[in-house]
Amino acid sequence: MALLQIAEPGQSAKPHQRKLAVGIDLGTTHSLVASVRSGQAETLANSRGEHLLPSVVRYLADELPQVGIKAQAHLVDDAANTVMSVKRLMGRGIDDVKRLGESMPYLFEACDQGMPLINTVSGLKSPVQVSADILRALVQRGESSLGGELVGAVITVPAYFDDAQRQATKDAAQLAGIQVLRLLNEPTAAAVAYGLEQDQQEQGTIAVFDLGGGTFDISILRLEQGVFEVLATGGDSALGGDDFDHALAEWMRQERQIPAQLGLAEQRFLLRLARAGKELLSDVCSTELSFDGWPGDATYADLELTRERMNLLLDPIIDKAVRATKRTLRDAKVALGDIARIVMVGGSTRSLRVQERVADLFQQPLLTDIDPDRVVALGAARQADVLAGNQSGEELLLLDVLPLSLGLETMGGLVERVIDRNTPIPVARAQEFTTYQDGQTAMAIHVLQGERELVQDCRSLSRFDLRGIPAMAAGAAKIRVTFQVDADGLLEVSARELTSGVAASVQVKPSYGLSDVQIADMIKASWTNVEDDRSARSLREQQVEADRLGEAITMALAEDGARLLTSQQQQVIENQMQQLVVARNGHDHHAIAKQIEEMAKASDAFAAMRMDDSIKLALAGKSVDQL
Amino acid sequence: MDISQDYFSCYGLSCDFSLDPVALRQSHRQLQQQHHPDRFVSKSDSDQRRAVQITAYLNQAYATLSEPLKRGIYLLQLQGMEPLAPTNTQMPMDFLLQQIELRESLEEISQAQDPETQMDSMSSRLQHQASQLESEFAQAYGSSNFEIAETSVRKLQFIVKLQQQLDALEGALLD
Repeated sequence: MALLQIAEPGQSAKPHQRKLAVGIDLGTTHSLVASVRSGQAETLANSRGEHLLPSVVRYLADELPQVGIKAQAHLVDDAANTVMSVKRLMGRGIDDVKRLGESMPYLFEACDQGMPLINTVSGLKSPVQVSADILRALVQRGESSLGGELVGAVITVPAYFDDAQRQATKDAAQLAGIQVLRLLNEPTAAAVAYGLEQDQQEQGTIAVFDLGGGTFDISILRLEQGVFEVLATGGDSALGGDDFDHALAEWMRQERQIPAQLGLAEQRFLLRLARAGKELLSDVCSTELSFDGWPGDATYADLELTRERMNLLLDPIIDKAVRATKRTLRDAKVALGDIARIVMVGGSTRSLRVQERVADLFQQPLLTDIDPDRVVALGAARQADVLAGNQSGEELLLLDVLPLSLGLETMGGLVERVIDRNTPIPVARAQEFTTYQDGQTAMAIHVLQGERELVQDCRSLSRFDLRGIPAMAAGAAKIRVTFQVDADGLLEVSARELTSGVAASVQVKPSYGLSDVQIADMIKASWTNVEDDRSARSLREQQVEADRLGEAITMALAEDGARLLTSQQQQVIENQMQQLVVARNGHDHHAIAKQIEEMAKASDAFAAMRMDDSIKLALAGKSVDQL
Repeated sequence: MDISQDYFSCYGLSCDFSLDPVALRQSHRQLQQQHHPDRFVSKSDSDQRRAVQITAYLNQAYATLSEPLKRGIYLLQLQGMEPLAPTNTQMPMDFLLQQIELRESLEEISQAQDPETQMDSMSSRLQHQASQLESEFAQAYGSSNFEIAETSVRKLQFIVKLQQQLDALEGALLD
């Protein structure tokens, strides 16, 4: 085990010869900075010996902002200037933030790109600026503990972070003046923390089970020849330890027949009691929950909570994590029995029931030796040490994947996938598109990320125009759109019209569009809404087809209808056209398909007549020799 | 590293259908160790960009060569053929009839009493067909019989699509 490993003399260089680099876990509630010293990764403490830095920033009128515990102390008395949970705002637009609602006590203003700005006594602050202030505090701590300037940092992000959220994180580091050596996915960092690759014998498949307060991530990695390769990543971004507290609180309410309509203070009381009970049951088998100090008028008797009872309440929630795990194993094409190691991450994996269930699922003991709150920062520190060039020979290498599919908007509000999720990065992919109308000289490129089939259900990353396409018939232009994703998971898109060489490219910067809740729903929904998506896709496809056919027939009727058809024949086609329009405006794709078929039948004879007619026209006055 | 060379050459392999997947994975690893952007963090911007391009190329090469269907299509493309061109839709009638039958049995699985056994038997049937088509392809390609090779690869595409649908169904039923 790496934790017990004693560093070989020649293996670790003397401190002054090393380049100083840190790993940073920039968390929603707290952050950490860690570094490799004398061959061991360790988290760095402040002068008071505290390792966890609360991710809270308080802005003051004429002073530098306060970060951490000092700022946290003012969350209530200076709520408007004290910012917490800023990670939830990263890469999000003003409209998303408004939807987060009352949970955020700040005054928001929008800037021209739609980025939310927080109105504080020291001016307007963007989420990127607030994160930068947290990063500055961590870097200062790193420099004073390590005694020198840092060459750079590896910063961790949740595996499910999309391009906009990653870009915002990198922007924050830039603002804080730190060189980002790499953005690293949190579960990948956790797998690295254990140093499994240092044992040459060690190889096999590893599962990283990361259960936090509000999110669940599962990653499957393969370790071979010192290389960690992520095979698949998945999870449920609306599942976490907070759900345990809510389930316990709801049980207490029912047991004591407390009315369902609770005030805020009463809800908080129940949740606090639930958390306390949950923690006590790690050591004892049964505990008495006391309602002393209940904020309402009624009084309630103490309530006994046993471990068995709690397990019954927790199991349905853990079941969801187990299902997500099995799904990700299937994506990775790995069987349960193939997993050799299970790394546990996140505060909620301290729950004994979670540990029991996961060990039971894999029929394996779990790796829990490293504090689940620190494991991510420790892994990031190891990767930073490698990237700074402090190791030689067979080095650790991490090969990660794209967490969410990338695509482009096509006709009818559909998304055409360009790169599937779980594709190894860096990756470059090109796709060819064409124009839809005659003489079209510009094309709008709309880049999207997500698993759903309709544009409205995916995250909009960027829009740009390719202009100056020479006028051609519909379908003649060849527009090649190239996506390139780098090792940080960041996207660059370029477009080129191949016959003329006209080009346009963008580095994708957040265009903001969805809230955290929507993102959570997006990921969850991609697993549950496959059926809906299919019929929605079919509906759009049939509508586009119906429009196309309708337009063509209307034009043909206008040109040749009176000349080639009797008024009765025209009437038949027009009646059928009305039925097609009715179906097209409905929501049943089968009905539209049927009417398209009927329309085609009704107009077949007319189409044949037009064909004959045009041949006659073309042949008129020409002898066989001339043809 | 020359990223305009064909995918086989970059791994030092000859343009052949049969290859050793374990050896391929190992040489892919070694090339990644050498060229991955993580090895160029302190180098110039242009070195870093080059590392991204090379690794993207290697990832594409590995994805293509490690899957038999993609490998077959790629081999034909090296011969200047486009087996999946949209104009290329003719298939032998008996094969199409067999496809319809397979598709029907796939649809019946979700209503079956014992879907798991049915899925298993369908899976091994598809697996059997796939490996038959693969050896058909290898033989035809090896003897420069590209037309026959093309037909095998297009048949294989049907089978692979069915396998994907079966996987999706399995996922949906087990959830």
